[in-house]
Amino acid sequence: MDVYLPILRDIWRSPTGRIGLVLVILILLFAILGPVFSVAPNKIAVQDRFQGPSLQHLLGTDNLGRDLFSRTAQGTRAALAISLIVVALSLLIGAIIGVAAGMAGGWIDRGVIVLFDIISAYPAVILAMGLIALYGVGFTNLLLVVTLLFIPQFGRMARAQTLSLRHQPFIDAERVLGLPMAKLVWRHFLPNVLGPLIVLASMNVPVVITIEAGLSFIGLGVQPPQASLGSLIRDGYVFLNQSWWPTIGSAITLALATLGSTLFGEALRDAADPKLRGRHK
Amino acid sequence: MTAAISIRDAKLRFGHTQALDSVTLDVAPRDCFGLVGESGSGKTTLMRVILGLERLQSGSIRLFDAPLKSGSAGIAQRTRLVQAIFQDPAASLSPRRRIGQLLDEVGEVLGEARDSIRARQAALFQRLGLPPGTVDKYPYQISGGQARRVAVARALLMNPRILIADEPTAGLDVSVQGDLLNLLQELRADRDLTLVVVSHNLAVVRLIADAAAVMHRGRIVEQGPAAQVFDGPAADYTKRLLASWPRLRWHALGSNLE
Repeated sequence: MDVYLPILRDIWRSPTGRIGLVLVILILLFAILGPVFSVAPNKIAVQDRFQGPSLQHLLGTDNLGRDLFSRTAQGTRAALAISLIVVALSLLIGAIIGVAAGMAGGWIDRGVIVLFDIISAYPAVILAMGLIALYGVGFTNLLLVVTLLFIPQFGRMARAQTLSLRHQPFIDAERVLGLPMAKLVWRHFLPNVLGPLIVLASMNVPVVITIEAGLSFIGLGVQPPQASLGSLIRDGYVFLNQSWWPTIGSAITLALATLGSTLFGEALRDAADPKLRGRHK
Repeated sequence: MTAAISIRDAKLRFGHTQALDSVTLDVAPRDCFGLVGESGSGKTTLMRVILGLERLQSGSIRLFDAPLKSGSAGIAQRTRLVQAIFQDPAASLSPRRRIGQLLDEVGEVLGEARDSIRARQAALFQRLGLPPGTVDKYPYQISGGQARRVAVARALLMNPRILIADEPTAGLDVSVQGDLLNLLQELRADRDLTLVVVSHNLAVVRLIADAAAVMHRGRIVEQGPAAQVFDGPAADYTKRLLASWPRLRWHALGSNLE
């Protein structure tokens, strides 16, 4: 725990980190508690369509009279769940492949790099659209496709970290001391490989949120009646000349979620570097 | 007499570079042996070979007459015989562990009780002039000179019979250099250590070494008693190397040694 407390303290001391942390907490609370305090997000009441904000409907209603506060909370929950699952899965798989490639070297290493290059050569959203068109829309396919897109980033970083760590003087010093390999990997390799990967993960959360929103906007992501920030923005956009409320709530939520997680990720990146720690007094 | 380090016809090549070329070398026990040469001459590679961090392509190496295995088994075999202070001591301390945790590892490797290792560590810290609170700090929180002393402490806690110091005075100001060299000499006498000082700094080696070897492009061009190597060199390269070293610095450093 003594490793993590100074990191949190440093994030709090950085002005942008503090804004990021507060936004992330607010968005998390909204996603977790929002649906508890609101009516059913999919309940249609056509007579109430296009209402402005009121005590009954905090963010107004959409073209079918559904409560936008509930739907935005549901969409935020989906965006966070998808981004966290995707980032965790791609980190895990990428780290295993990357460390293995770095340790193995030779043709295994070269093969893995070529594979990563092929995946990274395509623009992320285009590749996602192609794969989802091939394998069909749905929550599981969405998760798998976006995870596949992010594995090379984590894999590359894990491999690079492994290669550079192998030749660090402190690894040599621990080897000369005679520390068994398992302890060497656990104490001196893993913390130094994982740190940058976790920072990369936090920087990728907002990217996944926007990719999910983008795919849902064009109808390839989360499917109706389940709400997503992307589909809420699209639905609102279609009826923009009748009411601008349906767009505004989800758009602001998306902006705040990406801004908050980006600022938090950047502060975490700075705080996790032991050489920069203690910079914000 | 059994040599502390005995190397025969050692060869090692990295790509197009012959890092070690037919190196044959003997270091007598309890001697202070100086290994000099310009940057890239193969000094550090030779040190890594002795430590088991690099594998020889041909030739042999023995420590106190024991033939050594290669790879991880070789490192485990050497760990109680030989320890080292690396060129960049700050970088040789694992960045995410406290100094105390790094020193406790010595106890784990030796199978020594924590109280016992900590008592020995506290005594060494006092001897080395390190504040006791250093154990609670991370490597990035201590100065370069302190990091070097911590590296010395860690190496000595292993009770090695040979200590190799790679550029022990690099990056230290002249008075601290003198202190550290004095300290290494005292520890050598107290612990019957064989001390190998690897340095491009001729003044340092001339002042403390009993015997010395000069390396150039992976070869040993000259070796013998330090007085002979420095005052009556036979090899042309040694003569050129000595001529290129400014006289003034011998005295600047010498005045700080006892």
